[in-house]
Amino acid sequence: MGRFLLSRVVTALGSMLGVACLVFLLIHLVPGDPVDVMLGESARPADRQALRTSLGLDQPIDEQLVNYFSGLAHFDLGHSLHSKRPVSELLAERIPATLELAIAALFVAVVIAVPLGILAAVERGKSWDWGAMGFSMLGVSIPNFWLGPMLILCFSLWLGLTPVSGRGGLSNLILPAVTLGTGFAAILARMVRSSLLEVLGEDFVRTARAKGVAELQVIWRHAMRNAWLPVVTLLGLQLGALLGGAVVTEVVFDWPGIGSLMIESIQKRDYPVVQGCVLFISLMYVLVNTLTDLLYGLIDPRIRLDNAK
Amino acid sequence: MPRGDLLTALLLSCLLISGCQEQETEAIRMGLANAPLNLDPRFATDATSERLNRLLYQRLVEFDPNSMPRPGIASWEAITPIHYRFTLNNHAGIFGHGEKLNARDVVTTYRQVLEPALASPKQASLELIASMEEVDEQRIDFHLKRADPLFPAYLTLDILPAELIEQDHDFAREPVGSGAFDLIAWPQAGELHLQRRSDGQVFHLVTVNNPTVRVLKLLRNEIDLLQNDLSPELIGYLRSQPVLSVEQQPGSNYTYIGFNLQDRLTGELGIRQAIAHAIDRQAIIHWVMQGAARQAESLFPPEHWAADQLTAYEYNPEKARELLAGLGYSNSNPLRLTYKTSSDPFRIRLATVIQSQLKAVGIEVDLRSYDWGTFFGDIKQGNFQLYSLSWVGIRTPDIYRDIFASDSLPPSGANRGRYASKTVDQLLNRAERADNLSVQADLYHQVAAELHRDLPYIPLWYEDQLSAQGSRINGYKLRSDGNYDGLAQVKLKRALDGHHVQSATAN
Repeated sequence: MGRFLLSRVVTALGSMLGVACLVFLLIHLVPGDPVDVMLGESARPADRQALRTSLGLDQPIDEQLVNYFSGLAHFDLGHSLHSKRPVSELLAERIPATLELAIAALFVAVVIAVPLGILAAVERGKSWDWGAMGFSMLGVSIPNFWLGPMLILCFSLWLGLTPVSGRGGLSNLILPAVTLGTGFAAILARMVRSSLLEVLGEDFVRTARAKGVAELQVIWRHAMRNAWLPVVTLLGLQLGALLGGAVVTEVVFDWPGIGSLMIESIQKRDYPVVQGCVLFISLMYVLVNTLTDLLYGLIDPRIRLDNAK
Repeated sequence: MPRGDLLTALLLSCLLISGCQEQETEAIRMGLANAPLNLDPRFATDATSERLNRLLYQRLVEFDPNSMPRPGIASWEAITPIHYRFTLNNHAGIFGHGEKLNARDVVTTYRQVLEPALASPKQASLELIASMEEVDEQRIDFHLKRADPLFPAYLTLDILPAELIEQDHDFAREPVGSGAFDLIAWPQAGELHLQRRSDGQVFHLVTVNNPTVRVLKLLRNEIDLLQNDLSPELIGYLRSQPVLSVEQQPGSNYTYIGFNLQDRLTGELGIRQAIAHAIDRQAIIHWVMQGAARQAESLFPPEHWAADQLTAYEYNPEKARELLAGLGYSNSNPLRLTYKTSSDPFRIRLATVIQSQLKAVGIEVDLRSYDWGTFFGDIKQGNFQLYSLSWVGIRTPDIYRDIFASDSLPPSGANRGRYASKTVDQLLNRAERADNLSVQADLYHQVAAELHRDLPYIPLWYEDQLSAQGSRINGYKLRSDGNYDGLAQVKLKRALDGHHVQSATAN
């Protein structure tokens, strides 16, 4: 286990360094100058140069890259070019909102998808299956920028049940979590269905049924335990994506998360903040994928056995 | 408890919590389209920060409705054309940390901004100042490098307390000003709480980027007030809501189409004239903008002291076709141009309408939209044929030098179209040396007439300012430049029993 974790940490660090380097170079290649955005056109060339110097943008790109990595080595992500605040502070302000929304959306996705997927698999070819897969198709097809405002219109404006937008109490979380979770639920439901269908055709399921085990137990204890593996892989990937910021949902619901911070920073060419956001997102992906790998062992003892050998 | 029941209970409790949420608070809540980036006036350049800073700080000079400078916290006298004396009046307030604003604060603030090491974006507008000194606690002398009758109009910097400047205070996050409001909390990104000094009224300024959601929040009584940045459909929808009060006022933000004068095609005056005659501005204002704009003929709106009386390029598609035919273009040999705009959906829609109007006279327009940084970068580099943009917050006609002088090509200025005219350069030089405003105004009128003839820009319109108020408040007055000064007067409506009026849309 220790060796496995060590190898994952080394791989993760390598990936993150690669991502940081790539993002640094790419963001500097994109047309648009942060000094233009900050000063406008009427600034004198001398003022422009002074600002460029004070921001360190007058240095050669390789020197800026070295400075950036030297800062990273000291856990210093730099300062925002616009607000002058430390990037770590800006990220820390947004991370709780991102975590809150990601976990709530994943909860919604699981609560909808698992029963729906199981129902569709068990009732294969029947109306429940068609209904569940129809929902799944709708969920995948409806974009969040449409679903969000529709939910607001229905639940906030007409029924008056939830606030329109913003981050506050639990009631503020319901609509963004449902908006974000519905799409994921649709994909997840299809995965649960196909995974379970595969397992339901296995000999051990037939044996369990022949032994007279109750159908609910056959599905939940025997079949589902074997069907979880691909589902957990997908969940891990989805959680990674959610933690990376759900830009559209954050914008629709004015959710102050990492996604909206990154978009604002790209528009303003605020290089250090963009780099900080991408680094955070890659860290989240790496963490979630490592956790998913560890979960495999818990779900399927054969994986632990293979590792032990 | 079975799991199914647990889930049902959880969902029900969520709905219960939301149903019982507090809808009415004492604070007046305003929805902002964008969050402020920096509340340190030495560095703030975005519109939201500038507007909020006007509430938090005070300035030496303000502007009257004709954009003439008028005393803010100081009156002035020109002792000589290059020596001005400013005297603080009784409007000068007390800073949030308890000290009264005095001459030392003014001098320290201005000196700080002029300090090259600070790299303040406000330096350029103050380059005229040679030196300054405190005469006493109330008076400040400014010495100029050259005479300029417009000088007082440049002194719009928000004044900071000298003591805190010297302590390197973080004004960006903890502003300390002497304005009508104090920042009392910044609970999360995009939300600020201000308190009005005169009566202690609290204001929550909440950023709601999406215009549709902003409108829905107003209808749901989650905010009380919003201003601008709405599509015409939303404006029409707001007007149809009986519980809201919508106010519209002529604005001064100038929208135009710019040409690249160095381009083989758009450098041709006949082509620019044909385009000017082919665009039906009144139809766009009426049908697309739902009347929320005034047709423009020059940079300054009619109420501005330097406004010009110029004859409009009337909508005349026949004349446009004739001009194009004279240059050898026809349906079989159409003129093909590229038009760049930002990725803002409303700007794209306007550009699409203009594309269609130009097609009607035989001009094929390739429309390209880019994110702001890329678009603006292309415009500055002269990588365009046609583009459209707006000038926001223009107060003084010295802007002509920045936009049209032949030595103002980017990055030294904003002459994006590479316009070069000896006549305009000479007129601008004479205007700069003029020793009184009426002579200066006359010279700037001549500049405007030259520009009207040469057409480096096609003036489109001045966009109106618009606000919508919910039923809990009244008294908010719009300003032509879109600032938030109206927050100083807005009040919560009080019912006879002393409770706040409940919104018709509240639960």
